[in-house]
Amino acid sequence: MTIEDTEIGRTDSTAKEVRKRDDLRIFALAPDPEAATVDERDTLVLSMGPQHPSTHGVLRVMLRLDGETVLTAEPEIGYLHTGIEKQCENLFWQQAITVVERADYLAPLLNGLCYVLAAERLLGIKDVPPRAQVLRVMFAELTRIASHLVWLGTHAMDLGAQSIFMYAFEMRERILDIMEFVTGARMHQSWFRIGGLAIDVPKGFLAKMDDFIARFPTRLADMRRILEKNVIIMDRLVGVGAISASDAIAWGLTGPNLRASGIAYDVRKAYPYSGYEQYDFDVCVASGGDCYARFVVRLNEMQQAWRIIKQACERFPDGPVAIADRKIIPPPKTEIQHSMEALIHHFKLVSSGFNVPEGHVYQSVESPRGELGMYVTSAGGNKPWRVRWRPPSFYNLQALRKLAPRNLVADVVAIIGSLDPVFGEVDR
Amino acid sequence: MPDATALRAQTAALLPQLTQTLGADFLEAVSSEDMDEVAMLPGGLPAAAELLLANGFTMLLDIGCTDHLPLTPRFEVSYHFLKFDLETNAPDGRINSTAPQVPARFRLRVFPDDLDPHVPSLAKLWPSADWAEREVWDFFGVRFDGHPDLRRILMPDDWAGHPLRKDYPLRGLDRRFTPGGRVGEVPPVITK
Repeated sequence: MTIEDTEIGRTDSTAKEVRKRDDLRIFALAPDPEAATVDERDTLVLSMGPQHPSTHGVLRVMLRLDGETVLTAEPEIGYLHTGIEKQCENLFWQQAITVVERADYLAPLLNGLCYVLAAERLLGIKDVPPRAQVLRVMFAELTRIASHLVWLGTHAMDLGAQSIFMYAFEMRERILDIMEFVTGARMHQSWFRIGGLAIDVPKGFLAKMDDFIARFPTRLADMRRILEKNVIIMDRLVGVGAISASDAIAWGLTGPNLRASGIAYDVRKAYPYSGYEQYDFDVCVASGGDCYARFVVRLNEMQQAWRIIKQACERFPDGPVAIADRKIIPPPKTEIQHSMEALIHHFKLVSSGFNVPEGHVYQSVESPRGELGMYVTSAGGNKPWRVRWRPPSFYNLQALRKLAPRNLVADVVAIIGSLDPVFGEVDR
Repeated sequence: MPDATALRAQTAALLPQLTQTLGADFLEAVSSEDMDEVAMLPGGLPAAAELLLANGFTMLLDIGCTDHLPLTPRFEVSYHFLKFDLETNAPDGRINSTAPQVPARFRLRVFPDDLDPHVPSLAKLWPSADWAEREVWDFFGVRFDGHPDLRRILMPDDWAGHPLRKDYPLRGLDRRFTPGGRVGEVPPVITK
């Protein structure tokens, strides 16, 4: 097909018509058979968002209501689409890490980790130094805690508990301080590289980690005491938005949302990467499948993430943080000053990157939201041919169509919050 | 802990069955480093999907697409499946075991026609396919026959063109000011 055929950027004359028709078609969809029994004239169509506070400006849900009960819910997404997959195809393998990390902006390092692992598999790199592996695990888990804390704060705020937001963000701030201390950036660290890490940790890192390890459990226990058996929280979450195990599988739920329905699937246990098989941690499972089960699973996961960080700090090995292959990782600056060969390597890596052998690979990691997968195809060049995301939030949010019907309109806010979607990742 | 060979044995047993079911639509079976995969033509997809579902691949993990231009076949629609063990399932559809599940993985690569790409929809078998197929349609223009509601999902509804195709320029149409003050549209440069 040629460019002329696709009419790029040109609005075709019938598009407006199509749009009108489509708007109507949204409500013609009835995933819930019970909805069909209600007289159409008794229903109200409510557009929730994108300005509704609980949808945080990036999601619109078209609700069809019978009184206060939701009949159908159709999420409208795409408000945050930034073409990350297209951009990846136009950057060198190593450069693409910067845009990859912008997809799930609450867990940037985990996007980077997934992409880096996929590229390493295509390159056949199996000797990433242990120090880099341990630091990758440590920071992946720190990111998980930080991400769950944002979820906890915003979810509680959606339910009306304002002060939890402040507590959670204060705890997250301590983690971001560590991130800044090590990588120089609070978010979007771009610290993981194909072949290892960008730089080693600075002096005094372990002292900071020890401080965090010592403080975090009491803070988390405080939160649990406030929230876990809280009457209001339980009133709003127990029995709301329940989904059975078989439905959760059919709708493609992963991560805490799947585990809350009783299925103990965790990528870290099932397909371990970065040495996760060497750590002792539990897969957090709940059986309710409702918002409260998802709530409890995430609280427990923070505890398990802390356990992994503690173990990583205990075994923290010495050594390099990147492989010694000069065709992948540029030589240190001190070497460039006196070695012609090092200078050439540096110049080649900066100006044209490195080539990756032809092939395709599926790599997934356990992101705070679920199974984050990347199906990366290389055509043998110095840029990825295609980086296909498997965005967990995308599938989790889709399940809102299954979860919201038969609930009250006020509970939709709780359900969206309990799914923990991040729209940078949904829309990419 | 996972046993990689046992997992592979589950999918390896599936390959001859798939070959037989697909018949002329079968292209090749590859045992990749990450999982077993079958390349096929779109005609056999419904039969292959039924077979996978019958073998316990109850989760359709992802549907993606790759544009291999200038190679032919140009489009590759990739399906990733997970097999969950629901043997221990309680009658109410809930699983009581907290032992970590290790689902087997499987990949189908479907190669539709270059000029008029059509693939049968799987939205009736797996609800998770609904949005994923809409996204592939949105970005690659691959049509899914039998999809209940094939609309754009991330791009605006009135957008023309399919942005992730390789002949779609990164920066859109190049607009330039001419000496007369009018804006002219020049053909984009195709990057490879």
